[in-house]
Amino acid sequence: MSRLFSNNIGSLNTTNIMNLTIADDKPDILAWLSPLDPKLRHQDIRDRRVENIGEWLLKTEEFRSWYSGSAGGESDNPVLFCFGDPGVGKTYIR
Amino acid sequence: MIDNLCDQAGRQNATVACFYFDFAARKEESPAGMLGCLLKQLVFGLEEMPEEISRAYRDRKNAIGGRGLQVSEILKLLQTTSSKRHAFICIDALDECALEHRANLLRLLNQILKWSPGTRVFVTGRPHILPEIRRQLLGRVTDVSISPRRDDVIRYLHSRLATDTTPDAMDSSLEADILKRIPGDISEMYVEARTPPGLPQPIH
Repeated sequence: MSRLFSNNIGSLNTTNIMNLTIADDKPDILAWLSPLDPKLRHQDIRDRRVENIGEWLLKTEEFRSWYSGSAGGESDNPVLFCFGDPGVGKTYIR
Repeated sequence: MIDNLCDQAGRQNATVACFYFDFAARKEESPAGMLGCLLKQLVFGLEEMPEEISRAYRDRKNAIGGRGLQVSEILKLLQTTSSKRHAFICIDALDECALEHRANLLRLLNQILKWSPGTRVFVTGRPHILPEIRRQLLGRVTDVSISPRRDDVIRYLHSRLATDTTPDAMDSSLEADILKRIPGDISEMYVEARTPPGLPQPIH
């Protein structure tokens, strides 16, 4: 977009130039914040996951009160730790 | 879990960020690396880039090819960003995080939670790190033991049988045998592993 406007940038006022710069910077800023891209790993897990495995967890009281706490519920434990030995399916729960 | 949270979060204008620890990549997985990655994801969904972040970028982009932020700076930006919008942070395999980083990381998470109480953190890991998590997060942790449920094992077997690459070798009695024996064996395996001798416990 900046290239599009580069020839007539003199006609834009200061506010517009600032907005344009900020909007154009977003991909650069994101790459600067972190080179890591967890969505690749996430997609890999998603592809290998069997639908609805571990659904029981969503029905537990522990999960519900942890989750609803974010919407102003009663739980004051903001952290939910799901533990188990290697291979039990912690990464793949629904 | 992340997909599920994403679906639900989308409906309530919340945001989800995740980080997967991996033993093989533990050298690169520093607290600054993880916090930067979480911040990037939380910022990605915002319509407008927070001014504090744009300013930090403008100040640094001309030096050393975009000099990175220090942990304390990322933390401050994370606190501001996560307090703007409900955020779910998911951390997988925390036990695979290098030991020298783990305590620091939990301390930093605790500081994020202090600033933005609406933030929820979901962590998975092996059982031995539970005491450390409790200590560092000042007991504000609910824990759930994960083990393969019989229904899940059966669901998984059905899905594998449906994609069997040698279907000619399968017949209905072998299939029935597989669906009967394997869930039973797995349940027994985990009951044995979790139950002290003499105290049999039924699996859920």
